This record gives sequence, C-alpha cells and structure tokens, in this order.
Amino acid sequence: MSIESEVSLDGKKLTIAIKGRFDFGSHQLFRDAYERFYKVPQVYIVDLKETTYMDSSALGMLLLLRDHAGGDNSEVQVINSSSDVRKILAISNFDKLFDIN
Amino acid sequence: MVEVHLDPDVLSGLQEVMEGEYPKLLDTFLDDSQKRVEALRKARDDAKALARIAHSFKGSSGNLGAVRLAHLCQRLEVESVEAAADLGALVDQIDHEFALVKPLYESERQRFQL
Amino acid sequence: MSALAPVLEPLTILIAEDSAADLLLLSTIVRRQGHQVLTASNGAQAVDLFARERPQLVLMDALMPVMDGFEAARRIKQLAGEALVPIIFLTSLRQSEALAQCLDAGGDDFLPKPYNPLILAAKINAMDRLRRLQATVLQQRDLIAKHHDYLLHEQRVAKAVFDKVAHSGCINAAPNIRYLQSPYALFNGDLLLAAYTPAGDMHVLLGDFTGHGLPAAVGAMPLAEVFYGMTAKGYGLTQILREMNAKLKRILPVDMFCCATLLCLSTQRRAVEVWNGGMPEGYVHEVATGKRTPLISRHLPLGVLSAQAFDDRTEVWPMALGDRVFLLSDGVLDTADANEQLFGAERLQQVFAANREPDRLFEDIEQALAAFRGEARDDVSMLEITLQAGQSMRATGPLYADSGQSCPLDWSMSFEFRAETLKRYNPLPYLLQLLLEIHGLREQSGALYSVMAELYSNALEHGVLGLDSRLKRDAEGFAQYYRLRNERLVQLSSGYVRVHVQVEPTATGGRMTLRIEDSGPGFDVEQVLARPLDVDRLSGRGLDLVRQLSSDVRWSDGGRSVCVEFCWEALA
Repeated sequence: MSIESEVSLDGKKLTIAIKGRFDFGSHQLFRDAYERFYKVPQVYIVDLKETTYMDSSALGMLLLLRDHAGGDNSEVQVINSSSDVRKILAISNFDKLFDIN
Repeated sequence: MVEVHLDPDVLSGLQEVMEGEYPKLLDTFLDDSQKRVEALRKARDDAKALARIAHSFKGSSGNLGAVRLAHLCQRLEVESVEAAADLGALVDQIDHEFALVKPLYESERQRFQL
Repeated sequence: MSALAPVLEPLTILIAEDSAADLLLLSTIVRRQGHQVLTASNGAQAVDLFARERPQLVLMDALMPVMDGFEAARRIKQLAGEALVPIIFLTSLRQSEALAQCLDAGGDDFLPKPYNPLILAAKINAMDRLRRLQATVLQQRDLIAKHHDYLLHEQRVAKAVFDKVAHSGCINAAPNIRYLQSPYALFNGDLLLAAYTPAGDMHVLLGDFTGHGLPAAVGAMPLAEVFYGMTAKGYGLTQILREMNAKLKRILPVDMFCCATLLCLSTQRRAVEVWNGGMPEGYVHEVATGKRTPLISRHLPLGVLSAQAFDDRTEVWPMALGDRVFLLSDGVLDTADANEQLFGAERLQQVFAANREPDRLFEDIEQALAAFRGEARDDVSMLEITLQAGQSMRATGPLYADSGQSCPLDWSMSFEFRAETLKRYNPLPYLLQLLLEIHGLREQSGALYSVMAELYSNALEHGVLGLDSRLKRDAEGFAQYYRLRNERLVQLSSGYVRVHVQVEPTATGGRMTLRIEDSGPGFDVEQVLARPLDVDRLSGRGLDLVRQLSSDVRWSDGGRSVCVEFCWEALA
C-alpha cells in the first residue's frame, strides 16, 4: 500500500493517489499526503485507480479530508473508482458529499 | 621432516598474554604433561583411553608451543582406531619428545625465578 | 596487550576445560579482556556451576571426563530456557562431523586450539551481541503481551457496558423478533435496539459503527439513550433520527459515523416506516405473494451531516399480518470464499428465492454462507421481524406509588398549532408527558397515546393537508399517499390543529376530556363510520381503534372537531 501526492503547477489542485488497500493501516500516510502542504489547494482529487480495496475506515478518512478542505465549502473529487469501490461509496451515499466518477 | 620442538613466538605471545601468571602457566603445563605421559604408559593397549589422553595432550602442547609433541599426539589419536597400528612405538616417541622439550620449558621457567 | 575490540560490558563467563594448563591460559586471556571468570574441569561441574551462578556465556571443552561437553551443553541450554546463553566449544577436533556435533548439541560457535586471543575476543563480542538481541526481543515481547492484556481488559469492560446498553429494550422479550448476532472478536460494533412506543408500535435500529471495539462503544451509548428515551415518550422516527444524528455529529470525531437502518413497525397502521443510511438493503417480504421490496440506503450515515443538511425523510411501505421485515449487516454480503469472491446480493436473492419455509430463512442463509465460505462466519448480524396481530399497548414510564394527591386534578389547557409548527414539530410527546402528570392516567398511557396519535394524525392529514385515506388501498397508493403528505406538509402555509384538554375530578376519581379540531373542510362522519370493517384494508382502522380504546367518542362541527374521554378511579 502506498500513497502518492502531486500538486499542480499553480498550486491549486492536489491529487492524492492511493495504491493497494485503502484501510485502517493507511491512516497516517493519507493524512500526511494533504496535511503537509503549506499552500491550501482549492481542489482535492482522490485517485482510486489502483485502489484494490476500501472499507469504512477509508470512508472516515475521506471525511477527514473533506473537513480539512473546508467542510461544506470544500471541493473534493473522487476519481477512477472501480465498480467495487463505487458500490461502497453508493451504499453510504457519499456521492452527496463528494464528486464521484 | 624438520619440525619445531618449541616455538619461541608462541612462548613470547603467551608471556604477553599471561604477564605475571606466565611462570604459573609453565609450571601447570609441566605438571599436567608429566601426568599424561604416565597415563599413556599405563593405558598400554587400551586404544580408546590412548586416544582420549592423546587428544587432551595434543591440545595443551599445541597451546604451549610444543609443535612436534602436538603432532605426535595427533598421530596417536588418529591411529588408535586402526587395528594394525603400532601404538606402543608412538607412545615411546611421545615420551621421548617430552623428555626433550621438558628442560627447554624448565630453563624458560628459570628466567623468572626470584 | 594487543589491540582488541572494546568489550561492550563485562560478562560472567564459565570456562569448562579438563586440561589445567589450557584452563589457566584461557581464564587469563578472558579475564584480561575485562570479564569475570568461573571455572570447571568437567561437564558435571560445569552444569552445577551454571545452575548456581547463571553466567552469560560459556566456553566449553568438547571432550571431558565425567560428563562430556555435548551433554553439558544440552543441559545448560535447557536450564537457560528462553534466554540465549551462547556456548562456544573449545576443540582441537578436526573432522567436520565432530564439529557439526558441537553445533547440534546446542553450541553456537567453536574456537580451535591453539587459542588465538584475538579471535576469542571477537567471538565473545559477537556472541554477546546476539545474547543482547535475544534479551531485547524477550523484553519487548513481554511488554507487548502486557499491553495486549490491558487492551483486552479495557475492551471487556467496554463490551460489558455496551451489552447493557445495546441489548436492553424489548429485543429479547418481543415474540415477533428473531435475530442472530455474532460473537466476533470481543464485539463488533453492530448495534441492535428495539423498543415499543406508547402506542404499541415497535421501533427497531440496526446500526454499524465504523471501527470495532472501544470507538463503537463510545458512540453506542448516547445513541441508545436517545433511541430508548424518545421512543418511550412517543416521538416519531423523524425526530429521533434528527436527535441521534445531531448527537453523534457533536460527540464523535470527524472520521467516525454510524450506518443505520431505523424502522417503525405498526400493527395498527399495517405499515413499516423506514430510514436507511449506509446499511445494506433490507427487505419487506410479502408472504402472500412472495414479493420482496428492498429497503435501500438513501441517506448518509448518522453523524456525518450537520443538523441543517440532515435528511430525515422516511419511506413507508404497507404490510399485512404475517409479513416480515428482514435486515442484515454487511458481514453477510462481505463473506468471501477462498478466491476472495464476495457472496454478494445476487446469491442472497437466490437463497430467498429457494427458500420454501419462511421460518427457516435464517438457517438457509447461514448454510449458504457456510457452504460458500467453506466454514461458518461468525461476524454476521441478521434480524427478522414479523407483523403480528394483537400487539398489546404497554404502559411506559414508572407508575408512582403515591396516592396521586399531589398531581393536578382540576384544570384545562388549549393549544393551537399553526402551519409553521405543524411542518416541523410533533406535539404528541409533549402532550403525553403533560397528561401523564395525572397519575390516574398512567395505567392507560398506551391507549391514551394511541388515541391522541390517531386523532392528531387524522386532523393533520385528512383535515389540514386534505389527503384521502382511500388512496391507501394498495401498495402503490400507499407510497403515493406518503409522498403527497411530505410534499403538502413542506408547502403548508396556513391551517391549524387545536388541542383542548380538560381535567375534572369526579365522584370516583377523575375524567380527562380531549378535543381536537382542525381547519379542514370536515367530513361526513356517518358515512365514514358506516363503512364495513374490512380487516385487510390498509386504512380506516384508526377510528374503530379510537372507539375501542376510549370512552365516548363524539364528532361535531361537521367532522372538524372530535372529542374523547378517559376516566380513572382514584388510586388507593
């Protein structure tokens, strides 16, 4: 499991890619990925293309990111989710909080 | 084959390590070895006993620099399992070699007589 | 003295050697390296000395009288137990077999004769490093074990508290509830609560907190408190959901939440009201037709949204007597086989379809799961509730033992609830609490609440909102009725419901007269009352119930006003 983060040239967009299992063990790495940027991006993108598994602690982590990004005023996108991952997001109705595709 | 009876480098190495205890080491060795030679004689044809004593004697004579003596003991240890070996002859050789090196150790010992 | 590697710390070293000269030589070498030396000249002495003094390292001659080095080494290793006591064999053995024998006997290394002090020092240091490594490992293992025990203890305490909270209520007492809950780990964060409302309806909650163990216990207690407290007072699902969500949002950290399905089953209204936020879909099973209606998760879990954003909209589905509601936790669908394939919803549907006896549904599912996985899975929760006739009204709340002399006995009160209030406030719990101030009424609190609820809902839905109860004649009409109800309520801008309460003492005790009026057009009372009592009809039951439960029901003002009486005898 590894997490890579990349910020766009103008500093406005932060992309966090999660590879492998997105679960309880990812907690510290995930927070590090967005907490250590001193410039606050406008848009956060969570890329799940290589995420093999996601559980409820991952949902909790997405909530933490959203809270960090400004809560109701945040813009957090979740992209490239596999059908399994999309199912989990759908059951919890997280599409009401995140832009998911 | 030219073999060293008593290796002086070993002795000086021992002296360096033992320091004040060096004389005591020489005394202990001479005493020990005397007993072993007698034990070899007593063991006669008992191959197992001979091997055991030879093994032990080999160790200490090696440590104290009596190179040829150690080799002879090694041969006795190895040949004791062979049926046709002449073990008595080897015991004689060991006896003889010890008689040779014994005065060398004693004179070494003398150097520290206070 | 030649330059030797510095000693890490002085050790106590046991030297077992039968040749006196060699022993002297070796002891001196080792002492000069800074260590303390114990000496033995045969194997038996070595073992004794070890048992008494417990040195940290042993130099052992292989061939010794009495007991040889191999046997001594074996015994010393045994005495040492888990700790590593390195044994270095001293040997002039040359053959590999003999050398291998040293290691097999438990030796960790060997030192050839003649002794080389440099090599000896280096080997002692190397062995000491290993010895310390082992000691550290054991120490950390013990520390971990201690912490683990401590954590287990904490979890046990949390579980005990959790159990008290989670399994009170009527979950065990109700005859129509069947559930299966798992003993996985200490506890799994699945919450199963059930309680009766004053009207005799049943509220049920199946919840699943993120994480297991302590985090779940932390959230479960306040949640259960709200659930039981508000249900007992007669609050509806909507209000209970709002309160539970607000409470969890307030007390839980951002990344914690509770997926939940909340149900209200009403025998009286032949319906189930549902809210599902994040749980796998449940099912309403119509026994007569075999049809299964999924109860889909349409909301975010509890504790995520702020109060303003929270969506409390419920769905209502009709149920006939004998129909069942089936709920499950995600442990069922997540059961995986050896190839990490998930059991999934389709397989569950197959089990439903194949099930011939509704009473055996649980067993069928458990068997299917076990067959799929290869073994039984033990972290699954399942719940099945059957709608049964004759669910009795319960008196909720404590009945006080005093004679009732200190309660209000002669008073009246009037309320007018207007549009803005009708939209967002349910006055029934408050009214009930008010009326329960009268001790004589407490025994009838169930009946009282049912009657009030029925009359209020008639006033609101038929009177103010203008809904026709005949719409509820089939499942589709049912859904439409409740959709319309929500729509019209949201748009409501005028209208009122008035509630008048009058309490008077009588010769034998007391009487409470309750009158409810609405601003609607009224209705033809005689016509409605004349409708045949059709037990399978989805509507119309309410009025009959009201007549059964209270003494003297009277309509006036063209059906816009209804009046009921409750009487009681003075408590002794």
